[in-house]
Amino acid sequence: MARMIRPATIQESEKRFARLLALPGMIVLILLVAGPLAYMLFNSFLSKTLAAPIPPHFAWFRNYADLFSDGRFWNAFFHSMIIMAVGIPVQSVLGLIIALLLNKKFPGSKIVIALFLIPVMITPVVAGFEWKIILDNRFGPLNYLLGLLNIQPIAWLAKPVSAMISILFMDTWQWTPFVTIVLLAGLAAIPKQIYEASSVDGSSASETLWRMTMPLLRPMFMLVVLLRIIFIFKIFDPVQILTAGGPGMATETLSVLTYTIGFKNFNVGMSAAIAVIQLVIITIIAKIFIAKVMNRTEGRAK
Amino acid sequence: MQGMRKLLFVFLVLFMVGTQAAFSQASASSKVTITVYGDQGQNLQPVEWLKEEAAANGINIEVVGVPFTSVYEKLKTEFVGGTGAFDVVIFYPAYLGEFAEFKYLQPLEKLFPVHDPKMNDVVPAYRDLYCTYAGSTYALPYDGDILNFYYVKNIFTDKSEMAAFKAKYGKELAVPKTWDDLLDVAQFFTRKKGQMLAGKPLDQDFYGFAFLGARGFAYAWWANIFGGYGGAFFDKNMKPLINSKAGQDALTFQKKLMQYCPPDVMSMGYEELKNAYLQGRVATMVQWSDIWKKANDPAISKIVHNAGISQMPGVKQADGSIYYRAAAPVGRVIGIPASTKHPKEAFWVASKLSLDLSLRSVSSTQTGEDPYRISHMENPKAFEQFGTLAEAKEYLAVVKDNLNHIFPDINIPGSAEYLDALDMAVTNALSGSASVADALNSAASTWDKITANLGASNQKKIYNAMLESWKKYGFWKE
Repeated sequence: MARMIRPATIQESEKRFARLLALPGMIVLILLVAGPLAYMLFNSFLSKTLAAPIPPHFAWFRNYADLFSDGRFWNAFFHSMIIMAVGIPVQSVLGLIIALLLNKKFPGSKIVIALFLIPVMITPVVAGFEWKIILDNRFGPLNYLLGLLNIQPIAWLAKPVSAMISILFMDTWQWTPFVTIVLLAGLAAIPKQIYEASSVDGSSASETLWRMTMPLLRPMFMLVVLLRIIFIFKIFDPVQILTAGGPGMATETLSVLTYTIGFKNFNVGMSAAIAVIQLVIITIIAKIFIAKVMNRTEGRAK
Repeated sequence: MQGMRKLLFVFLVLFMVGTQAAFSQASASSKVTITVYGDQGQNLQPVEWLKEEAAANGINIEVVGVPFTSVYEKLKTEFVGGTGAFDVVIFYPAYLGEFAEFKYLQPLEKLFPVHDPKMNDVVPAYRDLYCTYAGSTYALPYDGDILNFYYVKNIFTDKSEMAAFKAKYGKELAVPKTWDDLLDVAQFFTRKKGQMLAGKPLDQDFYGFAFLGARGFAYAWWANIFGGYGGAFFDKNMKPLINSKAGQDALTFQKKLMQYCPPDVMSMGYEELKNAYLQGRVATMVQWSDIWKKANDPAISKIVHNAGISQMPGVKQADGSIYYRAAAPVGRVIGIPASTKHPKEAFWVASKLSLDLSLRSVSSTQTGEDPYRISHMENPKAFEQFGTLAEAKEYLAVVKDNLNHIFPDINIPGSAEYLDALDMAVTNALSGSASVADALNSAASTWDKITANLGASNQKKIYNAMLESWKKYGFWKE
């Protein structure tokens, strides 16, 4: 007599099969992500340097305490925050305006969009070199253009404030197209019927923008802001090439400081600690943003 | 039958091509490949010159170049990884102590018979301070970097300028021998576009002085002044002295000098500073020795035969003498990693670069290398292409004199971190981000932390051993 197979047994066997299928992925994840992450966390509790032949030992939270009491860390943190606080709003507004303009179909609009994407496709190292030439005190085209307006040449990279402005310029130049393209995708996804209904109701263009378009673009805005926060925490190549964090430490960001501590000073424990701090901050911000987006999406679904 | 013949012919051709390829490959693989590491560009040019001779001696040279300011981190990463990717490494002697302590490098004396590098021919201070560690030779010299004082000759001899200077300052216009004299000279020559200089209207703003202000090696330009003020990095107990009165006075003085420098001085690296001088935009500056050669190359210079070089300015002492010190940042040396599988071939390459090709290297505009051997100093004819024999003699005499008044970089473990913290402090104060006192006090406190992190007792032991060498050459005053 054939054995009866109970539904529960089928479910369990399916689960086992599913686990088996997920196993290779899990192994890769553990080896490539979780493993190094755990090792970094472990290192952050060590007093470990490669600059002198002394064995590593547990320092528990000393690296974190040293970082939090170090002016250089807060200085770098402050600079990363400035780039976020100024760069993200400026890029968002500019990105939105350009996206709204590009959303209107006109002859050659596809070519314009493709050209517009060039800055974001250029590697940050190349962008850094380009801007170093653009900002050159004597031969740079920017000072040449300013000269046509009878403005004296500015030593952009030699003064703390102008060096930071230069970084912001470059970041905005490179990342505004990214914001634009994400928002453009968001605009394209808004059903035309909504605009038609709005038009039938007699809404003005600004009412349509603020009451219809902007709320519907909100998830895209959240995504773009979250990604930009993550990218700005990681900003390294252009800063290193343009100013190397200078003059002094006027443009040193968290990632430049992490690199300096890790690969110039070879202080493994301290660089691991600063990396962990950045990871925690980014994770918290990401959680908040994702929760907000999810809440709104679920709210709308209900 | 015809088809068989064709097929046979094709096989024959394939066989011959295959045999030829296999033979070529076997011939190439019979050579030992030596990978040379260094900062890319002009400073690896001598390695290119050596390739042909090396090939004739069964050595295939491969070159790995990295950016000028990344030599330490890339090399250290490789050493920590222990992949043995490099057989010959060209690096800055500030890292010699650390690399030797970790046994990344091998002592070289046992390899001397392979190709005698004639170390007795090396300027003694350079040989003992930059090539030797704990009594053993760990590196061969490659580039005798020392900072020198440069000026534009004709503006110092122009009668109208001389008269104007005397009228304003009540003394003769002369190449400054003290830092105070330099302040007057720098102020005097700083002029706006359209003003006259040596009887000609200026077509651009002109500045009295320039220094390297970009992050990386800016500390060395302060160290020239600090050394002249009698400063030292540490006392013998490794208490930092960079924030001493000498340190603060030197940095305050440098800030004063800055008002007579180009507005972009804080972003000037080697190239920018060199160009400012070669393009005739500054009256004076401090730079490495190779600039004199480049200044006399009409292809890149507007001040050909007009480039003056002099001893580093200093500070007048009570007895009327002038105490001066010339910093020696970079100063490349060649080491052989302990991990190389071909130490003899690697040493042959190193020794050839350090000895046989050295005169060509230090007397060429294609490289950035500077004289470091006694035989270089005694061979002004090799430098005659850049000026008269008298000018070449003067150039070599100044370089030798400044080498004899060297203010050496520290070369103990962690020197990269110590010097980076100092560089940060100097550039912070000069750019106005911090006061002189705050910047130097902060760097001194960082230095204390670095010493503690790296093991204070061992650091002191190594530092005191280094002081013994410094004392021998009179670079350390008790």
